[in-house]
Amino acid sequence: MRRAIYSEIQKARRTKTWLAVSVLLAVQIAWAAWGTGNMNADDLRQGWLLCLYQFPLLNSIMMPVIIAVIASRLGEVEHKGHALKQLETMMPAWRLFDAKFLCGSAYVLVAIILQCLVVVVIGCTRGFEGPPPLALLGSYLGSTLAVSLTLLLLEQTLSLLFNNQAISLAVGLIGGFAGFFALYLPESIHKFIPWSYYGLLMQVRMNWNRATHVTRFYTLPLDWSSLTVVLVVFGAAYIAGHVVFGRKEV
Amino acid sequence: MFARALRAEFLKLRHSPIWLAFGILALLPAVIGTVNYAYNIAILQNQWYDLWSQHTLFSCYFSLPALIGVYCSYLWHLEHADHNWIGVLTAPIPSIYVYLAKLFVSGVLMALTQVWVGLLFVASGWLAGLSSPLPAELPVWLLVGAAGGIIISAVQLCLSLVIRSFAAPVGLALIGGIAGLVAMAKGYGVWLAYALLALGMSANNAQGGLQCSPGAFAASCVIYLAICIAFAGVWLARRDIVTG
Repeated sequence: MRRAIYSEIQKARRTKTWLAVSVLLAVQIAWAAWGTGNMNADDLRQGWLLCLYQFPLLNSIMMPVIIAVIASRLGEVEHKGHALKQLETMMPAWRLFDAKFLCGSAYVLVAIILQCLVVVVIGCTRGFEGPPPLALLGSYLGSTLAVSLTLLLLEQTLSLLFNNQAISLAVGLIGGFAGFFALYLPESIHKFIPWSYYGLLMQVRMNWNRATHVTRFYTLPLDWSSLTVVLVVFGAAYIAGHVVFGRKEV
Repeated sequence: MFARALRAEFLKLRHSPIWLAFGILALLPAVIGTVNYAYNIAILQNQWYDLWSQHTLFSCYFSLPALIGVYCSYLWHLEHADHNWIGVLTAPIPSIYVYLAKLFVSGVLMALTQVWVGLLFVASGWLAGLSSPLPAELPVWLLVGAAGGIIISAVQLCLSLVIRSFAAPVGLALIGGIAGLVAMAKGYGVWLAYALLALGMSANNAQGGLQCSPGAFAASCVIYLAICIAFAGVWLARRDIVTG
């Protein structure tokens, strides 16, 4: 396994996949810096919650595409080099699948950890009231990671199955948009869309008073039932990915 | 010669899966925009104009720029595959014709997309039970929006020419769309290529018309188009190809 992972790291060199992750972070930093520019005392009191409300929303539109890009970069290198038939004489298909998944997971994990650091840095520099809410940040990290890795599994399977990366990318885009747009619909609908779980697992919600135009953020306990659904889908996607990729004719 | 290059581009589009993205990526914002309109019908009193704002809010900044990104990545993906660049560049046509033919094809795809967007808008209005006549500005919104979309195509074709990956330029298109949202909010829409689609379609400002002078919009389009064509010409003529 270590050799398989090492060869994935070698293949990832000069593919500039880090650029996709960097651009995601740059947009989120710019968005957060813009959104926290002119804050009064009341805004500063809610600053941490504002960030932890905005980031999952940005994730729900951007992460599916970034994940599709990561999975596509990991998959298309084999299709372009016609390398699958050679690789599968040296290692079982499941090992290649796992090595690619671990490699992709590293990008995703680093991106989410950096997001948390960005929230802390912005909060401290802007002077948000109180210390960083570590418990909320921890559950944000865990839930975002669970959803992202599930989507990575789905995207990686598609990227490895089809030579044409348009298919996996179109699925990522359509899923991402469906998940984001569904956040405007009743919760019963977005429970059926895996891409919507960034929004479903948000612990910070917003209450906007139409008459006074005052925005209040409040927290909810973590939605364990939705997290359980994500973990079940993760398990099913992992098994399905192994089976489907293992049976692929190279 | 150019006609032959065009014919080759249309041939490459046969049996392509981009029709899946074409159908669904325009349909999603229409569905959500209509549902959102139906939920807020009590405060949205301007019928077709408010429905247009709801549709374009989602489509102009998110799904259409990404859809154009998919078109452009797809148009170059065969050249980047295997050793096809050698065949393309030894064809007896000026190399810039390859880019121009793709720009023409992406323009046709953009026009079809706008027709689809228009049909979805009319169907949504009927489903939402709008009784007033269709806004007379609809063809203008679609046509000027198509011009903005072609400029995004010109930029995306340059990105997909340079970046050999299928997915990365699409990610950049999505980020461009979000940057367009910010540029429009700040009043700098006419300066950013990715905001020209929203500007042309009078997104979120249906009754107010174009948010800049028509001359500024046309000048921005022409300048971006000229820069992109010049860039592609130089890149195709000077850069050595990478195959495999």
